[in-house]
Amino acid sequence: MRKSVLGLVAVAAIGATGMAAVAAWPIGTPPGEIKLDGDVDRGAYLARASGCIACHTDFENGGTPLAGGVKLETPFGALYSPNLTTDPLEGIGSWSLADFDKAVRQGISPSGKPYYPAFTYPFYQNFSDQDIADLWAAFQTVPPSAEPSKEPDMPFPFNQRASLKVWRALFLDPPRTKPIPENGEVWNRGRLLVEGAAHCGACHTGRNLLGARNVDSEHFKGSDMLPGGGKAPAIDYETLMARGWDVDSLAYALRTGVTPSGDAFGNAMGEVVLYGTQFLSEEDLIAIATYLMDDHG
Amino acid sequence: MKKLAIAGSVLAVGFAGAVFAHSGATGVVKERMDGMAAMGKAVKAITPVMRGQVSYDADMVRAFAEEVRKHSGEAMTALFPEGSGGMPSEAKSAIWSDWEEFEELAEQLHTLSEGLAMAADNGLMAGTSTGNSGSMMGTGSMMNSGTMMNSGTMMGGGMMGEMGNLGLEELSELPADGVFTMISQTCSVCHTKYRAESN
Repeated sequence: MRKSVLGLVAVAAIGATGMAAVAAWPIGTPPGEIKLDGDVDRGAYLARASGCIACHTDFENGGTPLAGGVKLETPFGALYSPNLTTDPLEGIGSWSLADFDKAVRQGISPSGKPYYPAFTYPFYQNFSDQDIADLWAAFQTVPPSAEPSKEPDMPFPFNQRASLKVWRALFLDPPRTKPIPENGEVWNRGRLLVEGAAHCGACHTGRNLLGARNVDSEHFKGSDMLPGGGKAPAIDYETLMARGWDVDSLAYALRTGVTPSGDAFGNAMGEVVLYGTQFLSEEDLIAIATYLMDDHG
Repeated sequence: MKKLAIAGSVLAVGFAGAVFAHSGATGVVKERMDGMAAMGKAVKAITPVMRGQVSYDADMVRAFAEEVRKHSGEAMTALFPEGSGGMPSEAKSAIWSDWEEFEELAEQLHTLSEGLAMAADNGLMAGTSTGNSGSMMGTGSMMNSGTMMNSGTMMGGGMMGEMGNLGLEELSELPADGVFTMISQTCSVCHTKYRAESN
């Protein structure tokens, strides 16, 4: 709460004093060289788990896989997921591994522009070098599509990318993926997926006025600020238990969309299952469910 | 703040109980809600069978298929006349703007239910006990490279993939739980496109 007030003050201050200083403010760090060999299959699996394919494919309009074009209506304006195919102009075909690394783990474009956090890079910050190498290898196999990447459609001041630097300074925290060894391998694998790649909190954690997740006060307590005005229910373990979920039924729902009441997911969660979690291994679904059903604060 | 959060979760729990209550609906809206609820109840009952958690019973599977058949296809679309959206209906207006696709999904559910009835005697696919049946959905992999997990594909997995094209004859050859997975995915596809949020 305090941070969002600070943020508003900061935005106002920037408006008053001009963007020059902020524009010159350097962000990010030069990525180290990754010399690991990437594994295409592992990368494709991680891309599935991370929602790359779901968000960067316009399934609704029969779009080419990963050619982008999905419109996201946010309270700050509209964005379109960009083309991630190997097309050198519209896609990422001219990128280097270091460019890709910086985009995924730091949220910064090859030309140094900060991405809007509609791109869920904050969850990918703890991806390992091997993860990045694998993803990169997988993306190399995607055929080019010349589908144009569309610019965001945002009003002032949100169209000022430099204002995102302030946002980053205030709100860009590392994801809570750090293992807690005494909780065991399954739980920790679940934590890595839930808090990282699968970015459950992007929809299920409440956001403040500047669109940042209130990770301390509203973690998994649900949100009504989904793109397009949608809502996501609370998925903290108490709510899940009260609604009749357990590890088994949750893992099954992530595979099939079928809930304990016999209902089938719709809306955003339907998409998450159809384009994402149904492709995950049984072990990973159980890990996700184990972590979510546990009282982890 | 804490009180609010508690009030929120109490409310949330209250809503969960009301998922199939559909209070306030009358006429055709009530009728279709009841149809959906009947299918939901049937899914709930048959799921442990399809997961191999209780012993397999082909008659139960046929009864389930019949329940779905009764409420799908034209029986379903007839209950969605134009102009029947809006409160308390949970139907999105996309049903009427994409009528053909809605109709196709309803028809597909009908075909799948008939296919499941024919496949009931096939039993479950070998090794079903962990519900890993998603892997037979044919995700149209472009890489197709013997993946270490069940989905090394970057490109496949369009909503319906191949399954929309399976005819009765092909369905009748499949393990029952494979057809059941297609049924539940059809439910989810349709809810994703055409049902407004209820939580």
